[in-house]
Amino acid sequence: MDNHVKSRLKTALLATAAAAALGGLPAYAADEMTQDRLVNSEKEPGNWLHHHKNYSATRFSSLKEINKDNVKNLKVAWTMHLAGVEGGGIWTHGGLEGTPIVENGMMYVTDGWGSVYKIDTHGGKGNLLWKMDPKTDHDWAGAVACCGVDNRGVALWGNLVISHTLDGRLIATNKETGQVAWQKPVADPDKGEVITGAPLIVKNMAITGVAGAEYGIRGWIAATDLATQKEVWRTHTIPAKGEPGSDTWKDDKNAAAAGGGSTWVTGSYDPATDTIFWGVGNPGPDWDNQYRPGDNLYTDSSLALDASTGKIKFHYQHTPNDPYDYDSVAENVLVDVAGPSGAPAKLALEADRNGFAYAIDRTSGKFLWGIPFVKKVTWTKGLDPESGKPIEYDPKNPVQHYNAAVTPSRENKVADICPGNMGGKNWPPTAYNPELKLWYIPVIESCNRITVEEAVPEKLKAREFWTGGGPSQPVKITGSVTAIDVTTGKVAGKHETQFPNLGGILATPDLVFSGQPSGEVVALDAKTLQKLWEFNTGGGVNAPPMTFSVDGKQYLAILVGLGGAWDKWFIDATPELKRIQPGSMLYVFAL
Amino acid sequence: MNYSRAVTAALALALVSMSALHVHAQSPQSDPTEAGKAVFKRANCFGCHKWHGNGGGGYGGDALSLRKTELTRDQIIETVACGRPGTGMPYFARGAYDTTKCYEMTRQDVADRMPPEGGTFLRAPDIEAVADYVIANIKGKGEATYAECVSFFGNTSRVCDVYKAGSESSAKSAATSGPTK
Repeated sequence: MDNHVKSRLKTALLATAAAAALGGLPAYAADEMTQDRLVNSEKEPGNWLHHHKNYSATRFSSLKEINKDNVKNLKVAWTMHLAGVEGGGIWTHGGLEGTPIVENGMMYVTDGWGSVYKIDTHGGKGNLLWKMDPKTDHDWAGAVACCGVDNRGVALWGNLVISHTLDGRLIATNKETGQVAWQKPVADPDKGEVITGAPLIVKNMAITGVAGAEYGIRGWIAATDLATQKEVWRTHTIPAKGEPGSDTWKDDKNAAAAGGGSTWVTGSYDPATDTIFWGVGNPGPDWDNQYRPGDNLYTDSSLALDASTGKIKFHYQHTPNDPYDYDSVAENVLVDVAGPSGAPAKLALEADRNGFAYAIDRTSGKFLWGIPFVKKVTWTKGLDPESGKPIEYDPKNPVQHYNAAVTPSRENKVADICPGNMGGKNWPPTAYNPELKLWYIPVIESCNRITVEEAVPEKLKAREFWTGGGPSQPVKITGSVTAIDVTTGKVAGKHETQFPNLGGILATPDLVFSGQPSGEVVALDAKTLQKLWEFNTGGGVNAPPMTFSVDGKQYLAILVGLGGAWDKWFIDATPELKRIQPGSMLYVFAL
Repeated sequence: MNYSRAVTAALALALVSMSALHVHAQSPQSDPTEAGKAVFKRANCFGCHKWHGNGGGGYGGDALSLRKTELTRDQIIETVACGRPGTGMPYFARGAYDTTKCYEMTRQDVADRMPPEGGTFLRAPDIEAVADYVIANIKGKGEATYAECVSFFGNTSRVCDVYKAGSESSAKSAATSGPTK
């Protein structure tokens, strides 16, 4: 064995010996994360190695010790208080939106300001081994975080824990010691950029997305080599002049330079074609689409990127020249299934802010089907069955009005839109059960009101809102878990909830888990969506549940701490939630 | 009595009782509007009006620009105490619309135009202090400057970097953004 491996082995053995010498604690040698393990993550069913469980982003675990017959007995096994609830910038408190990662009983979670915690879950309890506090610049980042102080989680690579910070850094922390190995700035808050998403690891690179389309950024996706820390590629989601797609920005104000196109939800990856799938957010200014005539590529699109070069292989745009703030920033769930015609299809599924669930062919980018997953859509009468574009889309007209009577514009300055601008689904992730072929969507059954303010170039200033107006919430907003049968492209069931789903979904063979911002963690029957179990955490759930096993026992884990955009910008739609207190807690359940 | 007068009366009382302490409590260098700045932060005026007070649109609605405002000191006091009915401007005085009328209205009178309740209640001296802070440091001022930013935040954050002279060009070409491809 070569010297490098020898010295690493020695370090690992020393660490093990030291841990053993402390007495009482079992010593676990550092596991190395490799691309091979990431590709074959389903061979480690007790672990949760990816943000979205696997490269396909199905958030499906095959564990079934907890099942529909015994889930009613699920109870709290242990809890842990985390920190990071203090405010900063325009935010009075942080919140928890993260998904825990678990590898061989070691859990890694992040709090609102991006501290990383390593927790030993052996023995049916949580033992905090280390905490890495990245000392996020609260004022610098918090002033330009549009939608909350959050960090959606870490990734693993080699012997490192990889994380982002709100103030734009990529950080690698030593898995054993909790010491920062290296860090580098990837996003720049001086430009209105922040990072809230978890990294995606592909072939020794960390893939980073950026937030800030409400602050006039020009969005991008970046790949950093984890061995050399050098940036391998950075693909902008708004083309520069002369690049393909730049002719879809037809203004004379250089709108594309502040055109938005954020990328703040972790994407997915298809190793067979070496393709990264990533969702792109809204154009800016959000609600003045006459400022930026043209389709505004690649905003509101799903992108397929060559993983090695970052080049865009194809795109599918959902809402051209968007006047509503209907990001397509969601995860693309990669599934192989027989389509409605019977022929096998390699799909990318995306539940869009605009209220429609899309299936596209992930090898060609061709639209296959799309259906509304929300109860109420008013902005369009529906999608063209061939192209999937909204029926009212007029490619000859650079400014789209869709259903003009309910579309915000300079002529229609106050408009009520359904879904609301926060979308029929926001960042919270969907989950897919490959046995039942059911895809579960965390739904915000919503309408809200947009008031347009005409944008002018003089208003575009660094670190100031660039939105062309803003939303208000005159009507109540509720929620649901909506199941789509992917073989037919039809809604298979809808479990309605009092409040919007702000946390996301976990699927297991016969169960669906989710949460409510009023405090409940719930388990539903995967076929009927009947509620089989509920526990009220006493806080606001706005993070996804996950499951893992250690020493042969299965656990359910979820972070609880209301934050994000909801309780600041949208709370009037759910006034009962005003009583929910901020907090920062990890709950772990078992039979 | 209306809110503005109630506050002034309370403050007069407070000032009389504080004046005896005045010589001991204040250092010669202190800015008399420091107390108001602390209120501006604590009550999260920052959250909508931004640190520089210019407010602006976007999420949360169109917060008033305190730099461009024509409001008098008394009007600012009344607006902070009572909020602004039918808008997102919260009220910060305990008892507003309940034990004390606002704009001659009770909670029943203002009905569904009732402004939201502020995240904290402010006492009369605090409301006057934040009004004094706004009048002295924000109202009538032009664009936000680096010096004003550092005065607000101190020096431990990069939050003021963007206001440094020439920072526009440095932000665009900063090494932090990596190579463009």
